[in-house]
Amino acid sequence: MNVIEIKNLVKIYNSGEVKVKAVNGITTHFEQGEFTAVVGPSGSGKTTFLNMIGGLDRPTEGEVIIDGSNIWNLTSRQIIDFRMNNIGFVFQAYNLIPVLTAGENVEFIMHLQGKPKKEREQRTKELLEAVGIGDRIKSRPGKLSGGQQQRVAVARALASKPKFILADEPTANLDSVATTGLLELMAEMNKKYNTTFIFATHDQRVMDKARRIITIEDGKILNDEKFDR
Amino acid sequence: MKDNLKIAWRNLWRNSRRTLITAASVFFGVFFAVFMSSLQVGSFKNMVDNMVRFYSGYIQIQGEGFRENRSLNQSFVAGKSLDSLVHLQKAVTQTTQRIESFTLASFGNNSSPAMIFGIQPEKEEAISGVSKWLSAGTFLQPGSKDILLGKQLAENLGVSVGDTAALIGQGYHGLSAAGIYKVAGLLDFPLPELNRRIVYMNLATCQDFFSMPDRITSYVIMIDEVGHLKKTVASIRPSLNNELRIYSWEDLQPQLVNLIEGKLAAGKFIKGLLFMIIGFGVWATVIMMMYERKRELGVMIALGFQKTRIFIMLVIEAMLIGLIGVIAGIVVSYPLVRYLFYNPVHVTGKMAETYRSMGFEPLIAFGKDTGVFLMPALTIFIIFTIIAFYQMWFVARLKTVDALHI
Ligand SMILES: Nc1ncnc2c1ncn2[C@@H]1O[C@H](COP(=O)(O)OP(=O)(O)OP(=O)(O)O)[C@@H](O)[C@H]1O
Ligand SMILES: [Mg+2]
Repeated sequence: MNVIEIKNLVKIYNSGEVKVKAVNGITTHFEQGEFTAVVGPSGSGKTTFLNMIGGLDRPTEGEVIIDGSNIWNLTSRQIIDFRMNNIGFVFQAYNLIPVLTAGENVEFIMHLQGKPKKEREQRTKELLEAVGIGDRIKSRPGKLSGGQQQRVAVARALASKPKFILADEPTANLDSVATTGLLELMAEMNKKYNTTFIFATHDQRVMDKARRIITIEDGKILNDEKFDR
Repeated sequence: MKDNLKIAWRNLWRNSRRTLITAASVFFGVFFAVFMSSLQVGSFKNMVDNMVRFYSGYIQIQGEGFRENRSLNQSFVAGKSLDSLVHLQKAVTQTTQRIESFTLASFGNNSSPAMIFGIQPEKEEAISGVSKWLSAGTFLQPGSKDILLGKQLAENLGVSVGDTAALIGQGYHGLSAAGIYKVAGLLDFPLPELNRRIVYMNLATCQDFFSMPDRITSYVIMIDEVGHLKKTVASIRPSLNNELRIYSWEDLQPQLVNLIEGKLAAGKFIKGLLFMIIGFGVWATVIMMMYERKRELGVMIALGFQKTRIFIMLVIEAMLIGLIGVIAGIVVSYPLVRYLFYNPVHVTGKMAETYRSMGFEPLIAFGKDTGVFLMPALTIFIIFTIIAFYQMWFVARLKTVDALHI
């Protein structure tokens, strides 16, 4: 089943006189339960691509069709709500609200969604335990290591029961032990909840785990391979 | 809302030093403004009270044109109906009748122009407490035909208590007025001009002197509080016959009104400047609080926070700083101002002389009207409201993508 369908996606940035074609006509689709890495050299358009899928950056042309309709036909308020209910994000950094504890960070998304308190608390506990830091539920992000923070971010991304999770270089700030740990965690979550994961990455270790690798260069898909892992 | 408050509150203490410094600047502004306003309100009230008691009363009824010409021809008879009209007003506490005019006082070869006041001694005393300036002799007795002189006037004439001085002037409708009167006492006023000029006598004696039986020039009215002034004037005015005019102290002492208004304007200017400096300080803090969190806020929007929610959170953060400052400012200034209201500072030495020479009690009085506290609090609120518009602009411009590009 297709989760996301992408049609001829183009993004042109006007930086001064020069027009930068960050994404230059990408057409593809993602299916339920994919574990996909988007790779390519720096500046190839990975982040731009993910941001357009995630409703963060408006395409110059093309469509991002989720559940049969183009998300870019929504109003900006609707897009925010759409993101909240359908997409989980894991960014490279600044993922967590620093004044909220790990538990509150996870719970808050469900709070925004209007889930009842009991369900929120139970799911928060379950998710933090699943990502391996159940004992740090009351810690603020500043008291957690980079790896632990990213684990909370994954738990939070899963909390809203999204259709898919977008992760832009989630391991870029982590050492190799933390990277391996986080990758294993995401692979496990992918299996456990059958949630679609799409990464942008430079990291060979991430690529080694991916079951599909989309290679982008100059804003175009150069290669799209599937692996049985 | 509870969550917004929780997040905002915690955000405040991420940089507690900055928050405290900013709140402290608000506190200082509120405290200073309250103190200054209280001092102004108190001293103006004191000033007005003194001036009103001594000179004009809160309200006067005069013949038409007397205020401008001060001619005895514009005198009038204050009949029973006027009395009952005035005393019908709830706010009226005391009244007294006067003749105010000019004359020439002489003794031996000396003479001097003088201001003559025909007064009702008991009633006048109850209002202005004029006898406290008595420096020699006795105060006017009811029915007595004696006079009181300003101390300097007596010295200039070379007259002392018990002597008889002559008064010469022009009476009602140009009749000549002349008489000799025994000096019963001397008054030592703080104001040199009064000291040099004043002659007091019983109203009846004065009416005789000017050949104007039953007539007066001024009907002086005191009321319980300034707040009732306008209403009282307004309710007497329509019932007066058309030869009479009613004035409030502001009409009668425009120089005092000017003085107060000038000082109030200066005070407003200083407070305005202060609040402007504080406003810019707060603004700078708010700018820092928002810009250093641009990424974090971008992430929050990416996660599903609507911009309105981010805006509300940021406004609450800023407002909390203001609230802490305002509450602290009022909590500290209220007891102080209240204490000073009940225990005004008594001025001594040279300062006291200056006060007295201007006709004021040597007191630094304070006010504790609601406005004294309300105005600074309101000003701070307005400042934060303006800042909230800036915050709105900031949030409206926030782009998640820019915020996320590292
Ligand atoms: N907001 C922007 N304004 C102008 N140009 C931009 C903007 N964002 C990205 N670009 C340009 O678009 C191109 C693609 O950028 P993008 O960030 O998508 O690359 P990337 O593949 O994610 O790179 P990296 O691996 O370094 O993260 C680059 O040339 C970049 O300079
Ligand atoms: Mg990138």
